[in-house]
Amino acid sequence: MPAVLESLVEIRHFVKEAANRARIEDSRAYQLQLAVDEIATNVILYGYKDAGEGAVISISSEANGDVLVIILKDQSPPFDPRAMQMPEAQNLARPLEERKIGGLGIFLAIQGVDRFEYRHEDGSNLNIFEVRSGHD
Amino acid sequence: MAFDISVKQGSDEAIIKLTGELDAAVAPKLKETIEKVAEAKPKRLVFDVHELGFMASAGLRVLIFAKQKMGAGVTLYVIGSQGPVLNTLTMSGFHHSVILQDAYKPIE
Repeated sequence: MPAVLESLVEIRHFVKEAANRARIEDSRAYQLQLAVDEIATNVILYGYKDAGEGAVISISSEANGDVLVIILKDQSPPFDPRAMQMPEAQNLARPLEERKIGGLGIFLAIQGVDRFEYRHEDGSNLNIFEVRSGHD
Repeated sequence: MAFDISVKQGSDEAIIKLTGELDAAVAPKLKETIEKVAEAKPKRLVFDVHELGFMASAGLRVLIFAKQKMGAGVTLYVIGSQGPVLNTLTMSGFHHSVILQDAYKPIE
């Protein structure tokens, strides 16, 4: 789909449907939607900052037993979200007027899933999200 | 669900009701609303999120923007946050700076 912010609704919808099919527990499904939304937002706003029209982002899912894997793929310059410095507890406790704006999205993304992985393969960024169903 | 904003502005406070899904695509709309609301210099900025089904970090950044734009003198309230939206607020440490309430009750 086109790498524009208007695609975020469709991206979240895709994740929600995949989570329903994989019987992922509701709060985990929400965290997964948030995680994918945050990374996709980052790709669209920063990864493809200098890209013209025609930039695309694609999404796919795989269910293995009680694990759901979502893969976001794009061709913007290589960027490993795990390399971003995470906000520290100290900064998170700061009054809002003293806070730096930024880093929160990736923090929420990585915290919100059971496993987050990044690979760069054949010119593409692969952001890989894994959640377990959460049912016993 | 599409994102929607409605504003009730009084002399001391502005109540901004958010419905639907607040992501990076629509966050600028909320930012514009806050800029307008800020002109009346309210003492309390109240976000009613009872009917907000999704909030990304773009929404959190707008709250930070509001506080930085309006200064430490304004108190931010978030009303009716529950489940995942509340979880996002607390994970990000916003419960330290924002008054979280189930129903709006000014505390000053």
